[in-house]
Amino acid sequence: MIWQALAWVGYATILYFVAMQAYLLFLALTSAATLRRSHHFHRFGRVNEMLSTRTAPPVSILIPAYNEEAGIVDAVRSMSIVRYPRFEIVVINDGSTDGTLDALIQGFELARVRIPYRPDLPTEPIRGIYRGRGAVDITVIDKENGGVSDAMNAGLNAARYPYVLRTDADVVLDPDCLINSMQRVVEDRERTVAVGGNVRPLNGSVLRLGHLVKASVPKPFIIRMQLLEYLRTFLAGRPAWSALNALPLISGAFGVWKRSAVIAVGGFSPGHMGEDLDLTMRLHRHHRDRGIPYRVVYEPSAVIWTEVPTTLRVLRRQRIRWHRGLLTAVRDFETMTFNPRYGVLGMITWPGIVLFEFVAPIVEAAGWLVIPLAYALGVLNTTLLFWLLLLAFGVGMLNSLVALLLDESYGYFNSATDTTRLIAMAVVENFGLRQLTVVWRVRAMFGTGKGRWGDMERRGVGNLAERDIAA
Amino acid sequence: MSGSDLAHITVLIVFAADSLLFIGLLVLKTIHRRRVERHNRRRSEYMRLISRHLTYQNCTDPITPAMAEDPAFLDALIDVRNAIVGPELDALHAIVDRYGVTLSQRSRLRSTFSLGRRLRAAVALAEMGDQSSAEVLIEHLADPAREIRIQAARGLGRIRWTPAIDAILSRLGTETPWVATRFADTLVAFGRRATWPLLAYIRVNHKFEWKGPALAIRTLASIGDEEAVGPLMDILDETGDPEIALATLETLGVLGSPLAIDGIREAAFSPDWRIRAKAATALGAIGDPSSSAELARSLTDHNWWVRRNSAAALAQIPGGIEHLYEALNGSDPYAADAAAETLADTGELVAAKRRLDDGAPTVRDLALLGHMGDRALVSQ
Repeated sequence: MIWQALAWVGYATILYFVAMQAYLLFLALTSAATLRRSHHFHRFGRVNEMLSTRTAPPVSILIPAYNEEAGIVDAVRSMSIVRYPRFEIVVINDGSTDGTLDALIQGFELARVRIPYRPDLPTEPIRGIYRGRGAVDITVIDKENGGVSDAMNAGLNAARYPYVLRTDADVVLDPDCLINSMQRVVEDRERTVAVGGNVRPLNGSVLRLGHLVKASVPKPFIIRMQLLEYLRTFLAGRPAWSALNALPLISGAFGVWKRSAVIAVGGFSPGHMGEDLDLTMRLHRHHRDRGIPYRVVYEPSAVIWTEVPTTLRVLRRQRIRWHRGLLTAVRDFETMTFNPRYGVLGMITWPGIVLFEFVAPIVEAAGWLVIPLAYALGVLNTTLLFWLLLLAFGVGMLNSLVALLLDESYGYFNSATDTTRLIAMAVVENFGLRQLTVVWRVRAMFGTGKGRWGDMERRGVGNLAERDIAA
Repeated sequence: MSGSDLAHITVLIVFAADSLLFIGLLVLKTIHRRRVERHNRRRSEYMRLISRHLTYQNCTDPITPAMAEDPAFLDALIDVRNAIVGPELDALHAIVDRYGVTLSQRSRLRSTFSLGRRLRAAVALAEMGDQSSAEVLIEHLADPAREIRIQAARGLGRIRWTPAIDAILSRLGTETPWVATRFADTLVAFGRRATWPLLAYIRVNHKFEWKGPALAIRTLASIGDEEAVGPLMDILDETGDPEIALATLETLGVLGSPLAIDGIREAAFSPDWRIRAKAATALGAIGDPSSSAELARSLTDHNWWVRRNSAAALAQIPGGIEHLYEALNGSDPYAADAAAETLADTGELVAAKRRLDDGAPTVRDLALLGHMGDRALVSQ
């Protein structure tokens, strides 16, 4: 009886594993085709001409900040030299308890102003608005603490332009990221409601005056593992979803949003731990429910660089928060799962996320529990187990190698050292690190938490200028 | 077949795929690196060769048909092409003709080769801007690949062959937005020669569709030919389409002719707030003092954008600042906020603070600082 039950668990796990790999293979193949088209377009599509013509819509860059005194001024300066004809920067100081506001006032010679402010979205009280009159077109909204979503809503209220770029104070923007992402807007201005960008880990790279001058693969395993994860996600997954107009997530680190569309769905959800996922999904639901033509796209050439956790403690906190955000979204968008009304999103993408992102750690953890149980009961087929583990390892490596292959044409990690390090990591990550993230994600399902600031221990982009980022 | 056997075979297949990918990745990266290095080396050699041909008319160093097909040669040719003008350019075109460079690229563009190879041919033809390629480029304005259509238009813009204007215009309304905007950029390269064909296109089409005509109107703004003002006024008067009206107002503002003021003032009374806002911006861009009263009235508009644009426009007009201070002290708090924002943007706030620090603030300074809520400063 027990033997039979365990056998069925085994068959179900194998079936799940096969389905998951088929899904990932489908994504990787579709992504490869999409990336190829994207390369051609960015090489020959005259994207840079947007800089000199009247076709580029103005953009408000929104930067929510909480206790970012260390690097906020340099971060804003770094963002202010992005190549784009017309943009403003809006920093939202979300009740910082350090000197973030003072640093901004001094850094940009800001003056307190009373200017039009449209409270289209409810937020915590605004304490003051500051405007600069230097080379940087900057507005600072000082408000009571309310979390990142609340800060973003205040930024949306203050934004003057029809498109907003939501980014973070700790990222380094590639000079062309805005023009490359806005090209997708110009391509279809009526339908495009959001554009996501290609986020890459910054650690280990060389910065000068707030700009990345050399990307390289860092030595520590924990960062290299994240680098591989980012490559898998942003090159072997999102391009495919985007091509199918079923992109479920625009990352918080970089996303261009149509202001009117975001306001129509009620803005960011305060207190949500996965506010970017939640907003993207609500945009899909809003447009599909009303039959409004729209598209949510991902642009791989819009590259930005962000600091990733360097310690297991911080990484654990981040992963738990991400998975709790996903848990909330799975509950919130339950009605969209396997719902043909939502097209590819409802039938393939979102069920894929639920089954292979949300459920995966449970299945994997269950597998690790069943093995000792079966061994204790004397029903473990060790030969089969060996081959299955080897298979899981081989497939894991395959996924990473596909992502590395897709990354080849970007040319960031083409040196022999970087290639060797990444390939080595594709092997090593299967022994320990991946299992650790499974444990954290399972842990995330038990317990509660509220979205709050400060998961990361920032050193500040500005503090890293003129030298390598310590990996 | 047992489960173990199946797992065995699957593992073998997966590891074979892993090994292939692993080797493929290493080979690809090595090949890529070496190819770039070789390409750059050949490109430098070709640049020297082309320079010798340009310098010495009787140069006997051979340029073989194989070289003319080499992407490195094309890159070198393009580099040289972009660095020279006048008689040297004619000499370069002669070399291109003599060795059949454009001829081979034209046949390559017409072929059924891969998109990548056809694209390189399109780029080469576009970059070289040789008039003999004009016809093939016009032909490829309708190519299924959008990048080729874009490059074909670019090439025609570089050649500046006037018959191409109509060919491009005929596709403006049916193209995808991105390609259409690149076509419009190309028309800008033709300068004033494109003004009247554009106006003719707008006149014929603006009653039937808006996308192409609106883009054509904005192209006139980039060309900057004041001859377009009169016909655009007629279009503004005739059109019932808000998108056409918005594009026309924007262009009239950029062209900056005072002849357009009356028509724009009429538009400032439109029931559509977008048109009122755009009209305010256009009046500001023209900068004629006679518009101040109209803009001061728009400062009290019920729409946020109209107020904001009117305030910004007043700041661009001589004497407009006075109206902003009046609004600041007026009874409409929304108009006051809009005026305050513009005064802050134009540096009045900084100047007021400086005067306050110097101990000599004016009444207007105190009003502005008071409005901004800087009580601590005002009470000093």
